[in-house]
Amino acid sequence: MIELKSVVKRFGDLTAVDHVSLSIKKGEKIVIIGPSGSGKSTLLRMINFLEKMDAGQILLEGKPVGYRTDKQGRPQLDKPAVICKLRSEIGMVFQHFHLFPHMTVLANVMEGPLTVKKLGREASRTIALDQLGKVGLLDKQDAYPAFLSGGQKQRVAIARALAMQPMIMLFDEPTSALDPELVGEVLNTIHALAEEGMTMLIVTHQMGFARELADRVIFMDNGRFIFEGHPADLFSPDMEHPRIKAFLAKIL
Amino acid sequence: MTSRPGNSCLRHGALLGAPCLILLFGTFLFAAPAAPEDPYALLAQGTRLIEDGRLDEALERFQKVSPPEAGEDAGVFVRARMEAAKILFSRQDYETSAKMCTDILSLLPDNLEAKNMLTRIQAAQTPEWLKFLKDMQTYLPTLLKATGMTLLLVLITMLVSPLLGLLIALGRISRINMIASFFWGYIWLFRGTPLLLQLFFIYYGLPPLGITLKPFTAAVIGLGLNYSAYLAEIMRGAIESIDKGQMESAKAIGMTYWQAMRRIIIPQTYKRLVPPVGNEFIALIKDTALVSTIAMVELMRAADQIFNATFNIFILVQAAIIYLILTSIFTLSFKRLEDRLGVYENR
Repeated sequence: MIELKSVVKRFGDLTAVDHVSLSIKKGEKIVIIGPSGSGKSTLLRMINFLEKMDAGQILLEGKPVGYRTDKQGRPQLDKPAVICKLRSEIGMVFQHFHLFPHMTVLANVMEGPLTVKKLGREASRTIALDQLGKVGLLDKQDAYPAFLSGGQKQRVAIARALAMQPMIMLFDEPTSALDPELVGEVLNTIHALAEEGMTMLIVTHQMGFARELADRVIFMDNGRFIFEGHPADLFSPDMEHPRIKAFLAKIL
Repeated sequence: MTSRPGNSCLRHGALLGAPCLILLFGTFLFAAPAAPEDPYALLAQGTRLIEDGRLDEALERFQKVSPPEAGEDAGVFVRARMEAAKILFSRQDYETSAKMCTDILSLLPDNLEAKNMLTRIQAAQTPEWLKFLKDMQTYLPTLLKATGMTLLLVLITMLVSPLLGLLIALGRISRINMIASFFWGYIWLFRGTPLLLQLFFIYYGLPPLGITLKPFTAAVIGLGLNYSAYLAEIMRGAIESIDKGQMESAKAIGMTYWQAMRRIIIPQTYKRLVPPVGNEFIALIKDTALVSTIAMVELMRAADQIFNATFNIFILVQAAIIYLILTSIFTLSFKRLEDRLGVYENR
């Protein structure tokens, strides 16, 4: 469903993502772990074109993300409308939630169907209430985000992304900004979503969660994948890679 | 005969003279003057005495003129009383002066001179502060009418400049360099020169270029252009102060830049905009005073005109009070607006 071909992203002298290739099938759950600054978030953000890539190609259902090929066969930046359409099909959840503070919980979740899909107020409302029900926050629908706990905010953010009925969900450290006692409720929500068969790409530091949920785990360091495989292999005592061993020793 | 006839003569004279003197005094003291003195003569004497500067005697003569008998001409009496009233007025004997005037009016109720004199006496008798109060009362309608013009200018500018300011702010943060530079130049020009100069240029400088504007139009354009430059910078600051994540999360659900601006970013600036924009609008109320220089009659100009006519400093105090009332209303409204826009914040 998603194909990354030798993708490169540079910030000045720093190569954040260094010739990374990855293929994700429908329904697959992939977890990316690795130290801070290893390029995990950048990789995620390139998939919905919040970051432009410097080289390589990303294909979503066979269509290149962010670029089209002109008559001479050179890549050209896509029209904003095409990029927006693409983003509307990819759900993204941020570390710091980024709920719209001036809107109620319900309005936050309705915003996508209403403004982007232009489904009308009633249809958008029905979708939003359905998604809020799934994340268990129907009773908070009229509250403003400032009055919610971090865990509740992140669940609303998940509902907001799901309301667009995306084909894939990207999670960028969804629990890193939460108080420890609130992490569980968000992970449960993501688990439930995984059981429904949603395709997911998750950047996280929750190792237990990665082990339970992931079909495939990727360890990223200095912009490269230094491990890609089954979680059992990553966490096995036989793991020999010194970077991974050092990292896991610190985290677990 | 040894005595001289001259002596005897003197003695007799003395003997005769004493009763004569007594008689003379008696007539003066006890007997009313048999015939009133000639009013014409008295008036003439009084007038001459004024010329000699002998006002006391003149006053005496004038007051001696008695009211005319029925059928007689009242002219002399009126003239004499009026002259007396004037002398008494100049000596600040307002009561007697007023009495002279009422004497005239009881005879000729429509006498304009006497009526005017009475008004002057009344004015002279009122204390200074009361006079100021009366002036304030007299000119209040004029000031209020001019306040209407001030308010009209303020309200139109309050309507035009935020819209224009938003346009300029969005242009200023445009990623297209040409547009951003153009609006940078606009702000540079209008923030960098005095409003007074801009008003002069629009009103006096454009006619030679073939554009002649009415004072009101010129004032609205000048204030609108100037304030939109200030508001644009405030709005740009507010837009840029919104967390970058807001634009990203809006884009992540598929919004275009303009949808995100309209639905997510700009609405979040409203509350942050209220305090600085409120400040600008309060400055605007006072800055409208500058349009008085391009032939607009608004509160400041009206107050200035009345002050120059009356030299009554309280007219300026009154204008100050009106300005304070306007700015206070604005301050309070903006405070309430800010509170209302902040409902979504957890404080």
